[in-house]
Amino acid sequence: MDLLEPTRQAFALLFSGDRELWGIIWLSLWVSVAALALLAPLCVPLGFVVARIHFPGRRALVVAMQGFLSFPTVVVGLVLYLVLSRRGPLGAFELLFTPAAILIGYMVIALPILMVFTVAAVQGADSRIYETARCLGARPLRAMGTTLWEVRFAVTAGFVNAFGRVVSEVGCALLVGGNIAGLTRNIPTAIALETSKGEFAYGIALGFVLMVIAVGVNVALAWLQGEGGLE
Amino acid sequence: MSPLFKAEGIVKRFGERVLFDAASLELETGNGYVLVGPNGSGKTTLLRVLAGLDSAQEGKLVYRAREAAAAGPYPEPWRREIVYAHQQPYLFRTSLADNVEYGLARRGMARERRAALAAEALAWAGLAARHGVPPHRLSGGEKQRAALARAKVLNPVLLLLDEPTANLDGEARAQVLELVRALITESHTVLIATHDPEIIRLAILTRLRVSAQRIEVAE
Repeated sequence: MDLLEPTRQAFALLFSGDRELWGIIWLSLWVSVAALALLAPLCVPLGFVVARIHFPGRRALVVAMQGFLSFPTVVVGLVLYLVLSRRGPLGAFELLFTPAAILIGYMVIALPILMVFTVAAVQGADSRIYETARCLGARPLRAMGTTLWEVRFAVTAGFVNAFGRVVSEVGCALLVGGNIAGLTRNIPTAIALETSKGEFAYGIALGFVLMVIAVGVNVALAWLQGEGGLE
Repeated sequence: MSPLFKAEGIVKRFGERVLFDAASLELETGNGYVLVGPNGSGKTTLLRVLAGLDSAQEGKLVYRAREAAAAGPYPEPWRREIVYAHQQPYLFRTSLADNVEYGLARRGMARERRAALAAEALAWAGLAARHGVPPHRLSGGEKQRAALARAKVLNPVLLLLDEPTANLDGEARAQVLELVRALITESHTVLIATHDPEIIRLAILTRLRVSAQRIEVAE
C-alpha cells in the first residue's frame, strides 16, 4: 500500500483548516480536558483523605479502585448506555449520543486512575511533609495542599495517565456518543470509521494530531511537575 | 505563677508496650529544658504529644491555663505558638527563603515583611548566601540550621527540638550547637530531647529524665 499519498493528503487536510476535521479534534480535546478538570477537585482531595485517614472499608475501597483501572472501557460504555438510554434510570435527561454522555464516560474511566495515583503518591510521601506544615501553623487544608504540591510529580503522573487513556479511548465514546458527525465524533471514533471506509488520509491526519496532543500534554505536565521528585 | 505548659497523667501505649504511665511535666516561661533518657524511652514520642502530632491514651495538656485532653484534638491556636522541629528536618522542595517564610505566610504576614524576616533568620543561621538554593542541595548541618531558622522566625512561645545535633559531627555539629545555645539564651522556652553531652551539660538547662515510664527532674 502506498502510504506517501495518504500522508500528503492528511497534512493538506490539516493545514487547509478543514472544518469537520478540526471540529473532531476540538471535541476530543475539550471533552478529555473537561473530564479531568471536573474530577480533579474531587479525586485529589479524596485520594489524600483515603491515603491518610484510617476508616472501615478503606482497604476494600483501594482494592476496588485498583480493580477499576483494568476495567474495559467498552464495558463502561455499555453500562452507561443502559443508564442513559431512554428506558434507563437517567433516560429523562436525554444525554445519550451527546458530548455530555462522552464526558460522563470519560469521568468514569478517569476517576479510578486519578484516585489510585493520588492515594499512592500520598501514601508514599514523607510523613514529615504534613507534620512540618502543621507544626509551622498550617491548618489541615493548607497542610494537605502543601503535601500534594510536594508529591506533585506522582500526582501529575496520574493526570498524564488518565488523559492518555480517555483521549485515545474508542469503545465508550462510540457506544454513548454514537459517532455522530459534527456532534459526537471524536478522534479515535473518527479514525476507526474512516479507516474502515478506506479513507486513510483522514485517519493519518487524526492519528498525527492525537500523537501531537499526547506529547504536548506530557510536555506541559512535565513542566508543571518541575523538579518535584527528581533530585 | 502557673507554668507555661503542663502535661499531667500522660498515658501512652503502643499495643502492649506502655511508654508512659501517668507521666507529668511542667515548663516555666523563659526556661530551657533538656529531656534525657535511653533510646526508646519515649523522648520523641513525648515531644510529638506535646506538639499535637500524636495523641496519648490518657492525660491532659495545659497551655497558658487552657486545657486540652491529650487523647483529643490538639487546639489549633496552640500550633501558632508551639513549634516542633524534627530530628531530621523536612525542607519543602522550594527555595530556602520560601521554607523560612512558610510559617509567616500562614500567619497572614505581608510578603515584604516575610522576606525581610526570613533574610534576617537565614543570616542568623549563617545561611544568608544560600537563600535561593534548593534544599536538597544543602548538607545535613545546613538543613538543620535552616530548620532552626524556620522555627526561630516564628518567635515561638515554646520550642520543641528533637535531637538537633544527631547525625552531625565536627563543624556542622558545632554550628548547630551554637544556634541551639543562642535560642536558649534568647529566653525562648525550649525543650530539647537529646543524647548530646554538650547540650545536656549546659548549666542553663533544667534536666528532665524519662525513666520507668515517668518524667522526673534529674540532678
